[in-house]
Amino acid sequence: MRICRVLLVSLLSCICMSAERGQETVTCARCHQKQASTQPGTQMGHAMQVPGDNDTLRAHPELTFRREQYTYTVKTQNGQTQYIVSDGTHSISIPVVWSMGAQAQTWLLDHNGRMYESLVSYYPSIEGLALTVGDDRLEPKTLEEAIGRPLLEEGVTTCFGCHASNAVIGHKLNLTSLKPGLTCEHCHVDAGAHLASIAQGDWTVFPPELKDLSSEDISNFCGQCHRTWELVVRAGWRGTSNVRFQPYRLAISKCFDGADPRISCIACHDPHQKVVRGASFYDSKCLACHSPAMSAAAPHAKVCSVAKVNCASCHMPKVPFPGGHFVFTDHDIRIVKPNEPYPY
Amino acid sequence: MHLRSRLIADTLLGLTLTLLLQAPASTVAQDHPESFDELTAGASSAREQGDIPRAIELYQQATQLNPKWPDGWWYLGSLQYGVNAYAPAIEALTHYIELTPDAGPARALRGLCEFEVGQYPQSLQDLQQGIALGAANQPRNAGIVLYHEALLLTRLGRFEEALGKYAVMVRHGTINEDVTNGIGLSGLRMPILPKDIDPSQAQLIAMVGRAAATFMSGDLTGAHQAFEEIFARFPTTPNVHYLYAYLLFPADPDQAIGQFQKELTISPASALVHAMLAWAFGMQGDYRIALSDAQKAFAEDPSLSMAQLVLGRDLMETGDIRGALPHLEAVVTTEPQNLEAHIALAKAYSELGRRDDAGRERLLCLALSGHGTAADANM
Ligand code: HEC
Ligand code: HEC
Ligand code: HEC
Ligand code: HEC
Ligand code: HEC
Ligand code: HEC
Ligand code: HEC
Repeated sequence: MRICRVLLVSLLSCICMSAERGQETVTCARCHQKQASTQPGTQMGHAMQVPGDNDTLRAHPELTFRREQYTYTVKTQNGQTQYIVSDGTHSISIPVVWSMGAQAQTWLLDHNGRMYESLVSYYPSIEGLALTVGDDRLEPKTLEEAIGRPLLEEGVTTCFGCHASNAVIGHKLNLTSLKPGLTCEHCHVDAGAHLASIAQGDWTVFPPELKDLSSEDISNFCGQCHRTWELVVRAGWRGTSNVRFQPYRLAISKCFDGADPRISCIACHDPHQKVVRGASFYDSKCLACHSPAMSAAAPHAKVCSVAKVNCASCHMPKVPFPGGHFVFTDHDIRIVKPNEPYPY
Repeated sequence: MHLRSRLIADTLLGLTLTLLLQAPASTVAQDHPESFDELTAGASSAREQGDIPRAIELYQQATQLNPKWPDGWWYLGSLQYGVNAYAPAIEALTHYIELTPDAGPARALRGLCEFEVGQYPQSLQDLQQGIALGAANQPRNAGIVLYHEALLLTRLGRFEEALGKYAVMVRHGTINEDVTNGIGLSGLRMPILPKDIDPSQAQLIAMVGRAAATFMSGDLTGAHQAFEEIFARFPTTPNVHYLYAYLLFPADPDQAIGQFQKELTISPASALVHAMLAWAFGMQGDYRIALSDAQKAFAEDPSLSMAQLVLGRDLMETGDIRGALPHLEAVVTTEPQNLEAHIALAKAYSELGRRDDAGRERLLCLALSGHGTAADANM
């Protein structure tokens, strides 16, 4: 199959490329129009933003928040943003360069060579600032401490590693090669070599085919950033704050079968598209196993006696994240019993 | 007592005092009202006045008269411990524990006595049961109890577990010469007690213990200097690079890998070092490189669980799941509590589509893994 498609595409693009050779750099979009036209607009594509390209801050040019004696102002003008902390008499003003998060945003701040995670973040649900998740326990005593949580080198590196691309090379942070957000190469590791060799007329180098990975492997692949089952177990993270770790939640669901592609992350989500909101979209995914027609292919999967549509609305409940500014979808697909405690 | 440091002695005293204060309210049986009441009153006033020999004598008489009086045995045992009368203390505490089975501090105290008379297996068992029943919940008691547990673990060759106990102590601020020497022993993987240290090795042990304690206290720069000094003075001594790598691993796997590799130049055929190196590469996602070290580890010592674990894990991650299973299953047969082996097994069964087996392993993992902090921060 691959050979035929390769031949066809290569024929077509050879024609285009020879016509334009030397005038334009070849990009993925040339041959993978479908993915390239939508992926940059996804949340993952925007997982990190830089000055001038931050719609959220542009739409909210002045944000303020007060906690005890400290006042926070996030001011945006001509595409440049300042994060200002004041205790009434003194203030510290730091330019915002690194914004993490597509909608909710937390800022990484460089103050005198030290990196901080901003103490306040922007939350779409309140259209304003509130304490950064997990920082309610911080009790700043000085203006510097009030900037936010100081990050160790390791924390800075992993932060960029998940929210940006080409930022971590050989386990070390490299801010010059960094590209904001998730680009194609972040997930398709050998795509650079693939592109370069095609430009040389060599059609034998392709990135590994992710769609052929088992469900277990895809969970671990997405889990590099969304956190794997293994990591959450090892860390002992229990309670509703682990609802954001979908690979972990899905693995503990009775539906999960690491060798069955119908329960893979990519059976329900196309990572090149915005996540589809609304339960009905996912019905066909459930029914791929839970329907009488499928009883041979999924012998343990039973049919619902309660409803025939909107399966996820009952079996994948929305769980408010501690702190109250987000809601996540529980991927521990199950019969939800009234008043049952949150499992694991 | 073989304890040299004042700090430890102070802690001991602290333990005894706290234990005394915690003693349950008495439930005195009234079989022999006059004489018994007189004895107990006399005993407690002798104890309060610090006349320990007299108090011991009166508690002995009182418990003869009423062997079902738990408090009497308790005071008797702890006072005897305080005057180094370990064998009778064990006997008294045994009576107390028979009457009050879930008494954590008493079990821990009996464990300390057993340690002093050389009954090491019983001592470890009592200390661990005592801790499980809360004997180390108070920082003051934690020091002495964990210290002896760590010594006994070291004696049995369970060095990593011992280091874990020492790390807790150091974090709570319990650092003194006894503790650093203990750390030195487990760091150098010497399965002996401090009293058996060969004087020619004392300095090495002390230096290694201090370097590791510095690391555990969070002073990484200081620790680095201390380790470099040891490497310069004792360039061919085994296990020091290994220890430094082991400490570095959680925060800086890259540097840890470098140290494991240096250890291999000193101990080239060490199954443990190859296994740990494989583990470190694997945790970085470099399973292919890891596999070759795992194979060496297994060839060097097929009975080492860690070698079986890394070999199983690395075979699985490089696609040979069926080849991985026997190794992983062997680990959980010998070590049913090994979380990492259960984690790897869950993944292997899952890859093979063995839903029920994978589900069972996942539940086991949840039961085995502790409850960490909430995962609510951006990490
Ligand atoms: C000149 C055309 C061309 C360009 C430019 C190009 N590719 Fe490809 N790519 C192909 C062809 C042809 C295949 C093989 C298609 C097939 O097997 O269906 C392929 C295969 C792939 C695959 C494997 C798909 C699969 O699962 O079979 C990925 C992923 C991929 N390319 C990503 C990229 C990325 C990312 C870029 C940009 C960095 C890129 N490609 C640039 C032509 C191109
Ligand atoms: C390199 C890290 C990384 C990998 C790998 C990754 N993600 Fe993400 N993903 C993110 C980040 C970061 C966000 C949050 C974006 C934001 O809101 O700022 C995100 C967000 C999402 C969202 C929410 C998007 C929305 O529109 O609300 C979905 C769905 C998602 N990821 C699915 C996947 C799937 C499926 C995979 C595996 C095929 C995957 N991700 C792999 C980092 C990653
Ligand atoms: C291991 C990968 C990883 C690391 C490290 C990481 N993130 Fe994220 N982050 C994600 C993923 C995946 C999401 C989307 C799912 C979610 O919201 O949990 C996300 C979401 C976010 C969001 C959107 C709101 C939210 O909480 O869902 C913000 C803001 C954010 N991260 C900030 C940060 C900052 C700041 C750092 C570094 C200090 C950081 N993250 C480190 C993976 C990571
Ligand atoms: C968050 C990770 C992620 C990012 C970012 C990403 N991809 Fe993919 N891509 C995947 C996964 C997972 C698959 C396999 C599932 C599928 O086919 O959708 C895939 C599949 C593909 C395929 C093969 C599709 C097919 O039907 O055979 C192509 C081509 C591709 N991606 C191109 C791109 C391009 C071009 C970009 C950048 C514009 C990109 N991808 C960005 C994860 C990603
Ligand atoms: C059986 C279908 C199904 C599978 C499999 C699945 N998801 Fe989802 N996912 C959903 C549904 C349904 C939603 C919520 C959509 C909505 O908001 O209506 C969702 C939402 C999300 C979101 C957005 C944040 C949230 O919690 O609402 C992320 C991120 C995500 N999924 C990641 C993953 C990852 C990673 C995997 C694989 C480990 C995965 N999903 C597997 C059905 C699925
Ligand atoms: C890969 C096939 C597969 C897919 C896809 C799948 N399931 Fe399942 N599901 C199963 C199997 C098999 C079981 C039975 C497990 C058992 O009883 O041991 C199950 C069990 C269940 C249960 C009962 C669980 C319990 O708590 O007892 C519910 C409810 C359920 N699935 C709902 C869903 C919904 C809703 C979706 C879509 C969002 C879905 N499933 C997708 C295979 C699947
Ligand atoms: C209105 C809420 C609701 C919706 C929508 C819903 N279910 Fe259910 N489902 C339930 C409840 C409640 C039960 C438990 C019934 C019981 O215990 O008898 C259940 C039971 C199940 C079971 C277990 C059956 C068994 O015999 O053990 C499966 C599987 C299931 N649902 C799948 C689905 C699928 C697939 C869909 C979508 C086609 C769906 N459900 C839609 C509420 C719902």
